Amino acid sequence: MSERRDVIVIGAGANGLAAAATLARAGLAVTVLERSPAIGGLRRTVEFAPGFHAAPTAATSGWLPPALARDLSLSVPVRTVPDISLTVALAPGDFLPFPHDSRLAADAIRRHSVRDAAAWPAFTAQVGKLAGFLADLYQRPAPDVATTGLRDVAGLLRIGLRLRALGRADMAEFLRIVPMSVRELLDDRFDCEPLKAAVAAGGVRDLCQGPRAGGTGFVFLHHLVGAAPGSVRDRGYWRDGPEADVAALDALARRTGVTIRTDTAVSRILVHDDAVTGVALATGEELAATQVLSTADPAATLLGMVDPVWLDPELVHAVRHIKFRGATAVVLYALDALPERTGLPAASLAGVVSLTPQLDALERAADAAKYGDVSEHPHVEIVMPSVRWPAVAPAGKHVVIARAQYAPYRLKNGETWDGARREALADRVSHLIDTAVPGFLDRVLHRAMFTPADFEARYGLTEGALTHGELTLDQVLFMRPIPGLAHYAMPLTGLYLGGAGAHPGPGVVGAAGWLAARRVLRERTT
Amino acid sequence: MTARRYDAIVVGAGHNGLVAAAYLARAGRRVLVLERRPLVGGAAVTEEVFPGFKFSVFSYVVSLLRPEIIRELDLPRHGLQILPLESTVTPLDHGDYLASWADPDETRRELCRHSPRDAEAMGVFGRLMQHMAMAVKPILSMVPPDPGSLAPSDLAGLLRFGRHMRGLGPERFHALFKLMTMSSADYLDEWFEFGPLKATKSASGIIGTFLGPRSPGTAYVLLHHYMGEIDGAFRAWGFQKGGTGAISDAIAGAARACGAEIRTDAAVERVLVRGGHATGVALASGEEIAAPVVMSGLDPRRTFTQLVDPGELPADLVEGVRRFKFRGSSAKVNLALAGLPEFTCLPGPGPHLRGAFSISPSVEYLERAYDDAKYGDFSRRPYMDIVLPSMIDPGMAPPGKHVMSIFVQYAPYARTGGWTDAARDALGDAVVETLARYAPNLPSLILHRQVLTPLDVERITGLSEGNIFQGELALHQLFFLRPVPAWARYRTPIRGYWQCGAGTHPGGGIMGASGRLAANELLGSAAR
Repeated sequence: MSERRDVIVIGAGANGLAAAATLARAGLAVTVLERSPAIGGLRRTVEFAPGFHAAPTAATSGWLPPALARDLSLSVPVRTVPDISLTVALAPGDFLPFPHDSRLAADAIRRHSVRDAAAWPAFTAQVGKLAGFLADLYQRPAPDVATTGLRDVAGLLRIGLRLRALGRADMAEFLRIVPMSVRELLDDRFDCEPLKAAVAAGGVRDLCQGPRAGGTGFVFLHHLVGAAPGSVRDRGYWRDGPEADVAALDALARRTGVTIRTDTAVSRILVHDDAVTGVALATGEELAATQVLSTADPAATLLGMVDPVWLDPELVHAVRHIKFRGATAVVLYALDALPERTGLPAASLAGVVSLTPQLDALERAADAAKYGDVSEHPHVEIVMPSVRWPAVAPAGKHVVIARAQYAPYRLKNGETWDGARREALADRVSHLIDTAVPGFLDRVLHRAMFTPADFEARYGLTEGALTHGELTLDQVLFMRPIPGLAHYAMPLTGLYLGGAGAHPGPGVVGAAGWLAARRVLRERTT
Repeated sequence: MTARRYDAIVVGAGHNGLVAAAYLARAGRRVLVLERRPLVGGAAVTEEVFPGFKFSVFSYVVSLLRPEIIRELDLPRHGLQILPLESTVTPLDHGDYLASWADPDETRRELCRHSPRDAEAMGVFGRLMQHMAMAVKPILSMVPPDPGSLAPSDLAGLLRFGRHMRGLGPERFHALFKLMTMSSADYLDEWFEFGPLKATKSASGIIGTFLGPRSPGTAYVLLHHYMGEIDGAFRAWGFQKGGTGAISDAIAGAARACGAEIRTDAAVERVLVRGGHATGVALASGEEIAAPVVMSGLDPRRTFTQLVDPGELPADLVEGVRRFKFRGSSAKVNLALAGLPEFTCLPGPGPHLRGAFSISPSVEYLERAYDDAKYGDFSRRPYMDIVLPSMIDPGMAPPGKHVMSIFVQYAPYARTGGWTDAARDALGDAVVETLARYAPNLPSLILHRQVLTPLDVERITGLSEGNIFQGELALHQLFFLRPVPAWARYRTPIRGYWQCGAGTHPGGGIMGASGRLAANELLGSAAR
């Protein structure tokens, strides 16, 4: 081939597209290789029943960092914030909503606890402020105390100053919350059990741990980065469709001359003399490039695509021990209509509805996973994309995405996710929804089940982890993906990691790809 | 008011209070220590619970006592004599065992029997842990800087701390970060394959916490096993001749030798405060004793909400203390035995009886024990750490008879249904029954049994919620967060009122470091 190709990007998800656009804008010739028939990665919707669309891997929209948008002159899609971002089911037909207007939320909470109602506005304001501190960390590479560059020292000082700028009390609280459990965080402030359970679920999202686990305070804050003030879950959604962020990045990438090849699976990254020389496709075709930026997860990239002879055994050991531990299963439902008289406030339909009103129930669901069992009573949360975007379902019909934890990838005694196990879990999820939302089952036309094993098979996610590596404290910031390699450049010349397995991780749209690409550019100029 | 004037009063004659008193007296201060109980030691006491049978009733092994304290207070001269605990045996369910012995080569051969790979890894692991322990040790002797303060001493402290961390180099710094944040089970999974080894090692990470071996934040306690220094040798755990109370007696002796006065049976009811200054204490008897400095060796809850009127304190401090987690999770069972127990896995007498036994056959066993506690009850099959002090120090029991000390986890302070007498007995039964699976003759040997629930520990020693460390040693309660942000430097907002208990940095485990740091900080501030 005679065309110039400077960089190959593996994966056309948000990170891959952001990376490609960043590189192309700097004048590099970029080819993006995507194994699926379409772009979008985990944000891609699939037609799971005729006329019904949903992204099983992305029930909610992520956060697109303003610094990325500014740097790339990206036209940021419009975000809609539902009035009620979170609702918890108390009993069949009985719900407690948490509007992000904290006065309205306090009114709803007062029914259960006057003290909690009084504490709520200050709580949402505080966690919003602390998440805002993380937002700053997520728009630049993570500085590392242990590395010696002046750049890092300056970065650390900057962080120190910003942390102090939170004020004495909030700074102390940030340092306390990050390592603590989300349950303790909530027990400190609230009495109302359904409130605590609903909020705590945000701290165990896609984690193979329960709400008593240390570090779930951090996970809770992570998922609030970029959320609307007053919200305790997620960040609203793109007005123009579930893939509006990907579409914007795709348009940008194409405008800047990026070549995107779908249906093109990379089987190997080619290396010679400790330097990348290109990639080999599953078809056998080889594409040359001196730089390869992979947005596949760290294990899929380093263990799956690179010949181990080029890697240091200690590195291989460290990557093997990254905790992936996919524990989320997803059931997609096609409904012929929404069930009537459910008791669910209409405004709740555009947000998340949690079906777990007790902390202990959440904890017990997690217990099962510790021993390699699927939860007998999984924690289930539902969203209804068709309420947000009617176009994802035929007129008048609806889509429900149910996320169920815990469905561990690794089952005890070497058991596998066979058909019976999958159906049994899907049945349990259906039953739980039908209990909270009576009449639900009667409306179901079709359902599609995704276990961690399915996520691994269909999306190439190691252990089916939607996170590209659990968000535990030992695997975030300068420890992500592994200590010493947090700055995107891998120990093979020309190989970069820019997926959600790198800082800042899942839910931050395009950020890892963008930061990795900037690292590529920096290295090309030096 | 009594006529005699004191420079400082120390509330509570636990080991930290005694250490603080000794250092203050050594610097020429006239010090009075007031202890509620008839004997000194707090949770480090030896008592003849049953005639002829002496027990280290609560705390029972020692290794973390700071060497500088031993040296500076010349404790051996006052009776400190640590006898090494030489081995740990973990009985396994199928009649085998896993042991670690005093001789490293023997330990290696033993481990090799179960897993040659682990025996190989153990050497590397041990070296890394020693490096880590050396990295952490200076922090134990550091007054925590306050990251929210602009005071030069805090900024200098932060800089010193930052430089120390950077000085470790990337590899050790990252390893330390992993140790601080991971679960002991996950951390050990990176190194070893043999389940009972991982379980026995991870057990040290759960002691005194309301966490399971799979809970993040439990890994760093693995370091404790490599931090102990007895006669300069790392890793040794030991047993004080005469029981743990003899350590307290030695420190008390050193304090007295420097001129400190110690009064037992003297319960302090409250600290007297006038105009934002501590002026002395009032005893339960009504007696008032004046002193310009009062140092509390009690836990943060008692220090800030019982000894003084919380109304005297800033609201955020009171709220911080309210949020400080105690959550006592362990119990103690002390047995008087008519003879020696016979372990199925290692029948007959032998050196193993002079060491510890760990009931930790698998990580899952420990995790399930934790699960019971999470939902409000004691573990049906608890984790246990067992020693026979009379094997090491025959003076602890009548000739031919023995005492057995059993540390039990989990027994949650906030047990559903409360700690009734029936519940206490049921816990004792669960312990004996579980142990009988490994030592079938044990039940027939029991002459007396003392079961101490966390509630009993609280009632007897005053430790809130029965937490043996005066507050959980969890990441969010360490260093400058212990006990509360901005008040981790042993001072309180009341001038002249100081804290010196294990509820301050660096925490419990009979280190004595809190008492020493507090006393030195006080002496330093007076000098400035």
